[in-house]
Amino acid sequence: MSLVASAGGADRRTGRWRGGAGRGATPYLLLVPGALVVATFLGSLVVAGSISLRDANGALSLVQYKRFFTDPFYLDFLWRSLRIAVYSTPITLLLGYPYAYVMARSAPPARLALTLILVIQLFTSDVVRAYALILVFGNNGIVNRALLGLGLIDRPIPLLFHEAGVALGLILVPLPFMIFPIYSVLKNIESNLETAAASLGANRSRTFLYVTLPLSLPGILAGVVLVFLFDLTAYVIPGMLGGGYFNMIANAVFEQAMAVLDKRFAAAISMSLLLVTLALLYLIHAIGARSRRAER
Amino acid sequence: MNRAGWLPWTITGFTVLCMVVPMIVIIGTSFNSGSEMAFPPVGFSLNWYANIFQREQFPRSFQFSLLLAVFSTLVSLTVGMLCAVALSRYRFFGKNAVAAAINSPLIVPQVVLGMGFLVLLAQIGIVSSLIGLALLHLVLTLPYTVRVLVASLARFPASLEEAAVIHGANRFVAFVRVTMPCIKPGIVSAAIFAFVTSFDNFTASQFLTWDRTTLPIEIYAYATLETDPTVCAISTLLIIMTTGIVVLAERWIGLETVTG
Repeated sequence: MSLVASAGGADRRTGRWRGGAGRGATPYLLLVPGALVVATFLGSLVVAGSISLRDANGALSLVQYKRFFTDPFYLDFLWRSLRIAVYSTPITLLLGYPYAYVMARSAPPARLALTLILVIQLFTSDVVRAYALILVFGNNGIVNRALLGLGLIDRPIPLLFHEAGVALGLILVPLPFMIFPIYSVLKNIESNLETAAASLGANRSRTFLYVTLPLSLPGILAGVVLVFLFDLTAYVIPGMLGGGYFNMIANAVFEQAMAVLDKRFAAAISMSLLLVTLALLYLIHAIGARSRRAER
Repeated sequence: MNRAGWLPWTITGFTVLCMVVPMIVIIGTSFNSGSEMAFPPVGFSLNWYANIFQREQFPRSFQFSLLLAVFSTLVSLTVGMLCAVALSRYRFFGKNAVAAAINSPLIVPQVVLGMGFLVLLAQIGIVSSLIGLALLHLVLTLPYTVRVLVASLARFPASLEEAAVIHGANRFVAFVRVTMPCIKPGIVSAAIFAFVTSFDNFTASQFLTWDRTTLPIEIYAYATLETDPTVCAISTLLIIMTTGIVVLAERWIGLETVTG
């Protein structure tokens, strides 16, 4: 379930019309409705981009961007979103990789159970999952009540409604986005390779470190990209688990657009976020391409 | 002894707890008889389930979310099938660019999409949540439906369809009667993804609430204003709905088809 994979890339050997049907205008006609959908999407970006380039009187200007990139108050939303994504994503990886590994290597009943848990998570709204985390980690949540009941603390520890509380949500909620790409790579690794490493005398940790882990790097990369972008652009989790004390960049966009009603500034913040996202994806793509070249 | 070793299993057990315990707590809390958010629940009642229906915003937004999700799924499947046939059965100029364009909404942050749609629709004078959200959800779901359907079509040999054509069926009939039944698991899986994506969407959708709101938006609003177990009761119903969909998917087509 690689969410960033290309939609095309059908098998070249099968699934293609032979004879004359493969040419001509037919494919373009079939794509017309899809093109309209894509055009709406691109149009929305163009229109948002164009209003972000206007000043308060509607004249062409970079003043909205200047405001965003020079006012520390607004720039901090971008900075803290990048910061929290940088340290939450590796923790999601550390929790997610073993899960994917166990899922790929366990017997069918355990595999099915692990898959079911994950798919239910994936299909449950972030709003519900973030709310559930408040019930567990909030001041009145089960963790604090258990600690109080055991007499280990005499007043609730504030686990939520600050940066670390938001990070907790950003570590746990996107786990399915990390696990599925790693799982789909791990389950396709020949188990013979691991058996071969073992028969040549490698113990389990050496086999993992020198055989399994390098082969699963594409899955790790896909998962890390998905989770990093999820964290960077999160709205619901900072909104609910931050309780207004730790807003991230997506919250700033919504507030400017819908509460302050400064759509031009909101558009400038969102375009800046889009540019950061695209720059990161380009960077990762370039690193991936370079490491593939180095392997050859 | 298992093949994964004790350390991965221990971490997996911890991760499972992190995902499952919140769900159990939210379900348990929904049965409290008072308005305190206690777990295990104090007393037992279905008061908070009754409260969902007394607050008219929940039934109303649920209906709207359901309508939106069903509509988006049907349109997305139709449009997605046409794109998938073009991408998997034809060789044409610009194919990779088309595939990339269809996927591009996935890399655009949700707030950017919501912001873009807000501005675009206001400029062309559409301030109807129904039309706006239907368009937005179509954009959001199309990458999933196209990807799943392209993968299914690529696995299905075109020669069977050609055999039907040779025996006198026209291309459309051959596709509907031969190909579609054979790629049914892919169609079901695409439909589930589209439905869930539309039904659960919050971040982009909240920009387009001129005259109607969706269920996730109402839940979020209630959760930030009130502290009683009503949200737990709705969440429980949604978790039951999701689990139902997932279990049915496993029965019909196998979860491996869904997770890819």
